[in-house]
Amino acid sequence: MQFLIQRAGLLLRLFALALVLFPSLVRADTDLDAANHAYTAGSYEESAKLLQQLITSRGYSASLCFNLGNAEARAGHPGLALLNYERARYLAPGDPDIDHNLQLARKQAGLNTNSYRWWQIMLRSISWTIWFGLIVGCLTLLLIAIIGSSLKSSPPAFRKICKAVFFIFIPLTLLLGFVELSVIGFNHRIEGVIVAPDKATLRYSPFESADSTGTIPEGELVTVEDRHNDYLRIEARNGHYGWIQQKDIEPVVPGSFDIQPSN
Amino acid sequence: MKPAFDFRLFPRGLVLLLAWMVLAALPSRAAVSLSQQIDQPEANVGDEVTVTFTIQGVRTDMNFPDIQFPKVAGLQVLGTSQATNITIVNGSFTGSISESFHISASRPGNYVIPSFDISTPDGGVLHTQPINLHILDNSNAPPSAVPTQAPTPPPQVVTTPVLPNNNGPVVMPPNNGGVTPPANPNQGTSSISVPTEPGGRPARVFLAISPTTTDAYVGESIPVRIEFYIRYDSDAQQNSLPTIRGSDFLMNNLSVHPMEEDVLVMNEPYRRESWLTAISAPKGGDFPLQMDHDTYWSKPVQAPNNFPDPFVSMFLARPQLVHQNIVSNQAMIHVHELPQEGRPANFTGAIGHLLASGTAQPSSVTVGEPVTLHFTISGEGNFDYVRSPALTPDPNWKSYVPRAKMQYDDESHTQGTKIFDQEIIPQKNGTLPLPAANFSYFDPNTKQYVTQSVALPSITVTGSMPVATTETPAANDTTTATPFAPAAGIIPNRIELGSLSENLTPAYRQPWFWTVQGGLAALVVLGVVLAIIRARGKPNPDHAERALRERTLHQEEDAMSDAVRRNDSAAFFLAARHTIQLQLGARWRVKPEALTLTEIRQRDPELAETLTPLFAQADEVIYSGRASGEIDLAQWEQHVRRELLQAQPA
Repeated sequence: MQFLIQRAGLLLRLFALALVLFPSLVRADTDLDAANHAYTAGSYEESAKLLQQLITSRGYSASLCFNLGNAEARAGHPGLALLNYERARYLAPGDPDIDHNLQLARKQAGLNTNSYRWWQIMLRSISWTIWFGLIVGCLTLLLIAIIGSSLKSSPPAFRKICKAVFFIFIPLTLLLGFVELSVIGFNHRIEGVIVAPDKATLRYSPFESADSTGTIPEGELVTVEDRHNDYLRIEARNGHYGWIQQKDIEPVVPGSFDIQPSN
Repeated sequence: MKPAFDFRLFPRGLVLLLAWMVLAALPSRAAVSLSQQIDQPEANVGDEVTVTFTIQGVRTDMNFPDIQFPKVAGLQVLGTSQATNITIVNGSFTGSISESFHISASRPGNYVIPSFDISTPDGGVLHTQPINLHILDNSNAPPSAVPTQAPTPPPQVVTTPVLPNNNGPVVMPPNNGGVTPPANPNQGTSSISVPTEPGGRPARVFLAISPTTTDAYVGESIPVRIEFYIRYDSDAQQNSLPTIRGSDFLMNNLSVHPMEEDVLVMNEPYRRESWLTAISAPKGGDFPLQMDHDTYWSKPVQAPNNFPDPFVSMFLARPQLVHQNIVSNQAMIHVHELPQEGRPANFTGAIGHLLASGTAQPSSVTVGEPVTLHFTISGEGNFDYVRSPALTPDPNWKSYVPRAKMQYDDESHTQGTKIFDQEIIPQKNGTLPLPAANFSYFDPNTKQYVTQSVALPSITVTGSMPVATTETPAANDTTTATPFAPAAGIIPNRIELGSLSENLTPAYRQPWFWTVQGGLAALVVLGVVLAIIRARGKPNPDHAERALRERTLHQEEDAMSDAVRRNDSAAFFLAARHTIQLQLGARWRVKPEALTLTEIRQRDPELAETLTPLFAQADEVIYSGRASGEIDLAQWEQHVRRELLQAQPA
């Protein structure tokens, strides 16, 4: 009994120390709690504001984007709701809750569903860190195998193992490299969500005086193909394309509109 | 078509040697004469006219004479060029040098280039004749047409048909890098004028465009045929696809593989690459349509004019790969704004001749189950701006954004069928007529908007709409309620933060992502290369063994020859037997010492028979210390060497 009390005291002291050393952990949870409380109380605008502040100060996470999407949806902002659901899906491609709310919001906004297919979920689920680690790991193993098999001082058995590793990992590394490049090609599209209230105007050319070619509804996910000053040339899933003002669209990956599209 | 003999294959040194042989054979006191030529005695103000003076019968040591073109008021010398020629007629050589003056007149009138003298370097004097030149005033002529016809060459047309043009003749192509414009572009509606070189030949490469119309509306697709002509003696290669100059027009993507044909232009064979595309103008006004094309092509380059010997300089001339931007002819397109009057509310910019139709499937559904509307719009027009027929708002139906699919029937992407599928969900039961669907476009021929009603059937709807469960808003809710907020089924908030990241930028956009992987990959490649080099550099045991055996064989052969000289029978037979053993050991891959006569007999009985005397003599020497009887060692040596040859390893 005495032992258990001593251990409990030690854990409490460690917890107190952690609170002193990492106050941001406590604050983050508190802020999230406050945002969730505002949401539960029906103050959706307030909840969205708190969550946005949390993202600005702490960074993005699938949960924060998901909650922000919920708050914006309740507040009646379909564009911002779908934008944050898309961001949440970008961070957690296979999450069924995110996909459920995203498709529900799309349906409510009068848009077709755009669930990922299994192979898209699979490819997007593997983070770049994992790809990087896999390729670097294979290359490092190959390098060790080459050095090991070349050293005269190493035992013959070790050299044989090195040679076997080399011949096994050469095709594996090439395959992984090919898949990695394919995934990069697949993810290279710059996507954005229409956030203009109700709908955004598409134009023939990137000028305010240009004729309109139609409209695109708020919340629609589009691919950005080109840029001219404050105008972006976009293509929607239904084949519509044209020039749109940058203020009417938000990138799924913040900052991606600053990068010149490849084409 | 390729020339029968490729002079590039001829070694340059041999060419120079032949040149000097030709020069040496030229008569040292040939008769020197002068001729003169003007390429067009009648031209327009600003046109380039070439006057050429040719001196024939020149000697090997004669440099270009200093020709001073006389000053004539109103005429300006734009530049000069020099050329050398050697002609071989019936075995006799004739050399000539010529200098061309490219002149231009600044005002119309009749000009006379007066007679003047040309002093040759060998002290002689040549007299030119006066040259008449008539310059016309072309200030009132259209900018793209030459009002008069040059005497030579006559205007030529391409002999293959081109895209019909309903709006008058195609304007002539521009002056493509030193070639003169075509003399007369007005050759009918199905021809393309050809730019020519100063000598009258058609240009090596030129680009011609033919829009089907020069009157269009904003956004209308105008089919355009683009033709790139390459003369067969020009090794032209494309650097890119033709592009539109300026930003007045948008063009559909061109095919990477154009249609290729062989055509005759002014009786010269050409390769023609053609594309069919469409352009459209985003705004109204008069805009020049012109295209250009990056091209590499082979162009002969003269050696420096100040080279001591013109004949040598001629041989120093070589073809050079030249980069040139070929510019097409220009067409003025009149782009009209679409009329505001009568513009339907659902007009989306579609212009052309289009026909809309539609169907709906299935004809019977339950409430909430989607009906798919299938619209087809076919014909000719700017399909980029063709949208799905607009549905009249109807509270009985909730419509979704349609999906589009395009099928083009032609290369220019102006004809085809656009298909739209649109889901529409009934909100109540009963026999419900589908919402009215209307499609509007602008017809450029009638200059009017056209609205087509697409007939759709009624749908039998059964069942009833499920009642949605709505959340009760909180008492202190200050948020304005909106119809968007998904009421039912939304999964609530999460209570944990999850894994945080400062930004969402993917790692592959960071330099370190590629640097680390690339660096490691480079190290692996380097390691593999080094391992291969090292493996190749290792001494081969087979090679070492062979070298040792050959060295020993040579030593034994030397010992054999030495024994013959010393008439030492014992030493000879020992060396001879060992030599044979070495050779046979290598052949059969066995140890030489193991090869006894018995062993040899088992492997090759015939050979054993011929070697028996030798081995017997060797045994006798070993056991008795000397050979029996008188022996002719020289003869034995020949015998052994013959056997050695036969016993060589494969």
